[in-house]
Amino acid sequence: MTDPDLLVIGGGPAGIAAAVRAADAGASVMLVEMRPALGGAFHRRPIEGVEPWPIGREGERRWARLDEGLVRTGIVPRLRTAFLGLDGAGAALLEDRVAGRVEACHPRAIILATGALESVRPRPGWHRPGVVTAGGLQVMMKETGRIPEGRILLAGSGPLLIALAGQLTARGRPPVAVVEAADPFTEMVAGLGLLAHPRHLAEAAVHLGRLALARVPWRRATVLEAITPKGDAFEVRLRDRRGRRTTLEVDHVALHDGIRPNDHGLPAANETPGAGPIVVSAGDGREVLGVVAAEIDGERAADRALALIDGRPEATRDHLRRLARERHAQAVLARVFAPARPLDPLETLPDDTVLCRCEGRTVGDLKVLFTGADTPAGREIKLTGRFAMGLCQGRFCAHWVAEASARLGPDAPAPRPRDLTGDRWPARPVPIAALAAVPDAPKR
Amino acid sequence: MTASTFLFRGAAVPFRPGETIAAALTAAGLRTFGLDPAGRETRYFCGIGACQACLVRVDGVLVEACLTPARADGRVEPAEDRHDRS
Ligand SMILES: Cc1cc2nc3c(=O)[nH]c(=O)nc-3n(C[C@H](O)[C@H](O)[C@H](O)COP(=O)(O)OP(=O)(O)OC[C@H]3O[C@@H](n4cnc5c(N)ncnc54)[C@H](O)[C@@H]3O)c2cc1C
Ligand code: FES
Repeated sequence: MTDPDLLVIGGGPAGIAAAVRAADAGASVMLVEMRPALGGAFHRRPIEGVEPWPIGREGERRWARLDEGLVRTGIVPRLRTAFLGLDGAGAALLEDRVAGRVEACHPRAIILATGALESVRPRPGWHRPGVVTAGGLQVMMKETGRIPEGRILLAGSGPLLIALAGQLTARGRPPVAVVEAADPFTEMVAGLGLLAHPRHLAEAAVHLGRLALARVPWRRATVLEAITPKGDAFEVRLRDRRGRRTTLEVDHVALHDGIRPNDHGLPAANETPGAGPIVVSAGDGREVLGVVAAEIDGERAADRALALIDGRPEATRDHLRRLARERHAQAVLARVFAPARPLDPLETLPDDTVLCRCEGRTVGDLKVLFTGADTPAGREIKLTGRFAMGLCQGRFCAHWVAEASARLGPDAPAPRPRDLTGDRWPARPVPIAALAAVPDAPKR
Repeated sequence: MTASTFLFRGAAVPFRPGETIAAALTAAGLRTFGLDPAGRETRYFCGIGACQACLVRVDGVLVEACLTPARADGRVEPAEDRHDRS
C-alpha cells in the first residue's frame, strides 16, 4: 500500500467533498468508508435493484455532483474499511473487513468525517429488542426499500422525526403518531426565524403537509414516558402538556432526541506540522450543521489540511460565510424544537430504568453509588459502577450518566461525559487475528 | 432465480444481494439475534455501527450485523457461542 498525502475517514458528503477537493488540488487521496457503500446518513445508497429513497431534486443534484467529482478525480473509495485510531507512532490503523486484516497507513494528513450520532434519552423500556432509533429505521428503509410490518410510532424530539414520518407516509405507511416533546411553531418568534431559511421551511412544509393529509397525529408537547412489551407488541404510555396520560399499542417504536457529533474515541485535532499527522475534522462529526454544510465543511477541511502540509492557499472566507448561515439555521431549529416543558430529570425515572444499555446498569444502580460519604468522581462511576464500560464504550449512556450524576452529587464537580468514556479505541470489535497481522509498515 | 441464503443458528435465512445481516434477520421476523457474551439479548438499534448491540459471529468472528453484508452460504451465529475459529 502506498501512503497517501491525505487519508479521509467517512464516505458521507463531508468526506467525499474533502477527498474530491484535495484530489483536484493535486494531492494523493485515500477515502475509506466502513459500510459497504458510500453516502452517509443523508445520501445513503440502496442495495442493488432497489430505487433510491426520494430525497428531493435538490438533494439528488448534490449527490450527482459528489459522484461526478469521484469519477473525475478517479478516487476509488475503500469500502468496508474502518478507521480504528492512531497508534502510538502516529500510524493510522485501518481494518479492511473484506480481507479481514488491519493495515497501518502513514498519511501526511487525516480528515475525520465520521458524521453524527443520534441522541436517545433513556426511558423505561427503551432497551427492549424492537425499539430502534429513528435513524436505524431510516437506514433499513433507505438501504432495502422495506418498511417493517405493523404499527410504527415515532417519538422523542427534533426535525428528523417529521422528516421520517413524511417519508413513511409518502410510501403509504404512515406512522400511528409522531410524539414530539417540543411545541414547534407555537413559539412564533422562534418560528419566524425560519423564514430566513426557506430551504428548511420548505422541507418542513412538505413533510407536515403529507402528515396532515394522511391525518397522522403530531402530538406536540407530549413525551413518551414508558414502553412495555405486550406479547409481540408494545404498550407505550404518553403524557401530554396538561399531564394527562394515554396509552397506545404499537408494533415498533423508533426513538430520536436529536443528533450530536460522532467524535467518539477519535484522535484530537492536530494542526501542528511535525507533531504526527495533521488531523482536521469536518462535517457533522465536527459540528452538527446538516447535509449542505457538510459538503462546504469538507472542502474547507481539505483546504486547511493542504495548507498545513504544503502551504497551499485556503479559500476560507467564502466557506466560513456559508457555514455561518447553516449554523444560524440550526440555532433557529434548536429553538423551535426546545422542549415545551422541562423534561423529567433522569434520576426521577423508576429505579429499574436502564441507563447503560450494554451492561443493563440502571438508575437505581447509579443512585447506590451516591449513598456513601463521598460523592463519586467520573472514574469511580465508571470503574465501580460499571457505567460506560460496555461494548459501546458509553456512546449511548455517558451523557445521561453525567447529567444524572451532576444532580445526584451537586456538591462535587460534575463529571464530564469524557471522564466516563475515556479515549478508548478501537471502538469496535476487532478480531485479534486481524490485529496481530498489522505489518510494520515503513514510515515515510 | 433462487434467492441466496445464509445460515443463522443452522436455519437458512434468505437475503437480497448487498443487504446487511441485520436487514435480512429483521425481514425474517427476528427481533433478537441471540445473546451477547454478557448474556444480554442482541438487537438492532442504531443501524450505523455505534451501539454495538447487534453483534453476531460470522464464521466465528464478531461483527456488527448492521454493517456486515450477508454472504451466500455464510454461517452466522449469536455472539455468545464461543467456538472461535479465527
Ligand atoms: C439518522 C440521521 C438522519 C439525518 N437526516 C438528515 C436530514 O434529513 N437532513 C439533513 O440536513 N441532515 C440530516 N442528518 C444529518 C446528517 O448527518 C448530515 O446531513 C450529513 O449526512 C452529514 O454528512 P457527513 O459527511 O458529515 O456525515 P455522514 O453523512 O453521516 O457520513 C459519515 C460516514 O462516515 C462513516 N464512518 C464513521 N465512522 C467511521 C470509521 N471509524 N471508519 C470508516 N468510516 C466511518 C459512516 O459510515 C458514514 O458513512 C441526519 C443524521 C442522522 C444521523
Ligand atoms: S445496530 Fe447499533 S451497532 Fe449495529
